[in-house]
Amino acid sequence: MTGSQNSKGLEKADRYYKQYGERAKELKKEGRKIIGYMSALTPVEILTAAGVAPIRLKGFMDEAVTKGDAYMESIICPFVRSAFDAAVKGRFGFMDGMVLPHQCDSIDRTNEVWSSNLNLPYWHFLNVPHVTGGPSIEFMKEILRVFIGTLEKFLGTKITDTAIAQAIKAHNENRRLMRELYILRKQNPPLISGVEMMKVLVAAMSLPVDESSALIKSVTEEVKKRPAPADGNRKRIMIIGDQIDHIAIPEAIENAGAWLVVDDLSIGVKVYWPEVDETTDPLQGIAERYLRKLKIPTTFVGEGDTYEENLEARFGHLKQRIAEFKVDGAILFIYKYCDPYGFEVPAVKSYIESGGTPVLYLEDEYSTSTLARVKTRIEAFLEMIA
Amino acid sequence: MAEEKKRRAVATKTAAGIPKFVRGNLSATLKAKEEGKKVAKAFIHDGHDEIMRAMDIVPAWGESFSGVCAAKRDAEKFLQKAESDNFSRSLCTYATCHIGFEMAREEQGGAMPEGAPWGGMGRPDMILGNGQLLCDPRFKWPQALQHYLRDVPVFVTNMYYPPWDPNVDHHEQEKFYVKYCTEELHETVKFCEKVTGKKMDWDRLAAVVDLSDKTWDLFVDTYDLRKAIPTPMDTGDAMNTMVPITFNIGTQEAYDFYVELNNELKEKIAQGIGVADPEKYRLIWAAGLPSWFALNDFQYFNGKGAVFPVEVTYRDHEKIERLDLPKTNDPLERIAWRWVRYWTHWYDAARKIPGSTPKVARIIEYFEDYKCDGVVFHSAFSCRSWHAGIIHQAEVLRKVYKDIPILIMEGDIVDISSYNEADTHNRIDAFIETLEAYRNKQKN
Repeated sequence: MTGSQNSKGLEKADRYYKQYGERAKELKKEGRKIIGYMSALTPVEILTAAGVAPIRLKGFMDEAVTKGDAYMESIICPFVRSAFDAAVKGRFGFMDGMVLPHQCDSIDRTNEVWSSNLNLPYWHFLNVPHVTGGPSIEFMKEILRVFIGTLEKFLGTKITDTAIAQAIKAHNENRRLMRELYILRKQNPPLISGVEMMKVLVAAMSLPVDESSALIKSVTEEVKKRPAPADGNRKRIMIIGDQIDHIAIPEAIENAGAWLVVDDLSIGVKVYWPEVDETTDPLQGIAERYLRKLKIPTTFVGEGDTYEENLEARFGHLKQRIAEFKVDGAILFIYKYCDPYGFEVPAVKSYIESGGTPVLYLEDEYSTSTLARVKTRIEAFLEMIA
Repeated sequence: MAEEKKRRAVATKTAAGIPKFVRGNLSATLKAKEEGKKVAKAFIHDGHDEIMRAMDIVPAWGESFSGVCAAKRDAEKFLQKAESDNFSRSLCTYATCHIGFEMAREEQGGAMPEGAPWGGMGRPDMILGNGQLLCDPRFKWPQALQHYLRDVPVFVTNMYYPPWDPNVDHHEQEKFYVKYCTEELHETVKFCEKVTGKKMDWDRLAAVVDLSDKTWDLFVDTYDLRKAIPTPMDTGDAMNTMVPITFNIGTQEAYDFYVELNNELKEKIAQGIGVADPEKYRLIWAAGLPSWFALNDFQYFNGKGAVFPVEVTYRDHEKIERLDLPKTNDPLERIAWRWVRYWTHWYDAARKIPGSTPKVARIIEYFEDYKCDGVVFHSAFSCRSWHAGIIHQAEVLRKVYKDIPILIMEGDIVDISSYNEADTHNRIDAFIETLEAYRNKQKN
């Protein structure tokens, strides 16, 4: 990939990726409240409407978990452990508060570990349901109201429906802009590499929505203008998993001679494809997006009359992405100790393979120290599908 | 067949009757078809027990099945079967053991896998799951199982309770949580009616719920007898005597079991018979499912004069009066209130201890009431739902009780590869020394 060193948007993404939270620190100095959050399930629209600067927590794959092990068991998701370790080491010392949504056991069973050790002025556990029927939508709206109430109390300001509606528009626009950038990966060779894309995705989740949109827009403009890479004779790979937020993984794929052209990650396609409907009651649209549109394994999908119908409802979008992005092979990258993703492996693997796309399943820690084995398996997979 | 560990001796005669209960539950799933009943793969503590009992649905308890495989030290073949289709060994081993068993049966065209413990478990006609504030496998296991039992319908509900937050008054939230749980339970009934082709008998359900309430009360009264010094029963037995209330709640047999246990404990107390003679140290089993393949470790403790008069694990019931449940004519709403209040009734106590949590408030209450000297936790590597947060609980306890002796054991519920008997016993020996040193320090 050429020209990335001099391109303003990509350079900015690179900086925000390397110095994660840099912008949040600046905003804090300017007097903004900074609220950290975990997972794709946090309704960022509410945080934006509240006027705070949201930042999604990330882990640090190239740093060993040290301090965090004194407080959190090693049977927890290694990504969560890494993010927690970074937090207790003060990497997110700019945060005024945090939101932990109920995604999985590794998050909700450690809520008290997080809250008591970080001891932030604001803390909220958002009890997102696992099922999506009518009662769950109403319940989700109730817990969103509780969430809004706690934020209002903390900030001393009212969060109006109008502000929420505006935030919904801003985040939908942000998602649309990111999808436009993804489209540039449909070409062969893709106009933006998987490594560069990872930096953009990570940088984007560290910024307020308007700044995030501006960054994505500038990256898209720059990438469109620069010459396309010459090497189009590479296998096109999709990666599936939860929060993979380090360039080591796309590097492992692309250094082995493939292009990473699309993902189904919780910082990527999973969050940028579904929008919030602009409903009269804005909480209705938010509840529906986070419960029914987000495709994450902690939301149970089973309304179909047959197992096959449910498979389509759960994984149909993966086949769509595979077709749209002309994917030659998929890598299922699951963290150890992850029950929600781990229990899906046979189903998702066989579902994708039934469409003729080979799948490599990898279970690993969240650490660059264990990646040598992963790289070898990726190389073998690429040889196999060559 | 792997080597079967010598059966654990039990301190109460009543507990010796537990294998009959477990066999009976397994056998009911095998006989269901000829009796015209439907079998539901179900989970304990999901609020579904009374619905199933009132509709003559036979529960097939996956956790129990896997626990039996583990206790017989014969789970490995099923764990490996699941692993062969890419289920990681780091996932819940209750689930992977059971899924491996069902995979083997399907591959054999429905024939019972060789060596299935106690005749095995019947093939389910439906799978009931539940999203909760704990335990992802309660909705992922059903989904994963259906991959191999594609004709079996799955229904998953949500049973939430207000999360603990020292700064938020949970009382204000209870109503909408109960409303949600009640609606979810009504959806469950509709699903069960569809699968069974039978309508719910609401009067019968109300009677089953009443019987459950009575059993909750009797269970707590009976376990409270263990406050006696020396204690007439410890956690080694409780890991057996939990079976009726955990797997057979809403049945007369469960209630009768605790009548018998209650009588026996009173007799033992009258005669001054304890689990250990002499009883030197009283411990609380503060969290963690046990290693089912190593229940003899409780006897190892007992042999050192250490007894567990109380445990948190499987004591998922409380005196109904203490829960202060609002009146309702809907038995499902009754279940919902009981469920929500069971969790939240510790919150007010937790607020009174700065830095505490409901889990710790509960341990403290038991620790004081049962006059304990030390705390033991067990951390099972494959289960995050009950075993994450133990370090934090231990830390909070240390803040309250300073240098209180605390042991965190490590192992698993089903996977014996995680277990080393010699190491475990060495750790227990060291802990006993700590208890002795702590006691001497207290005296001085």
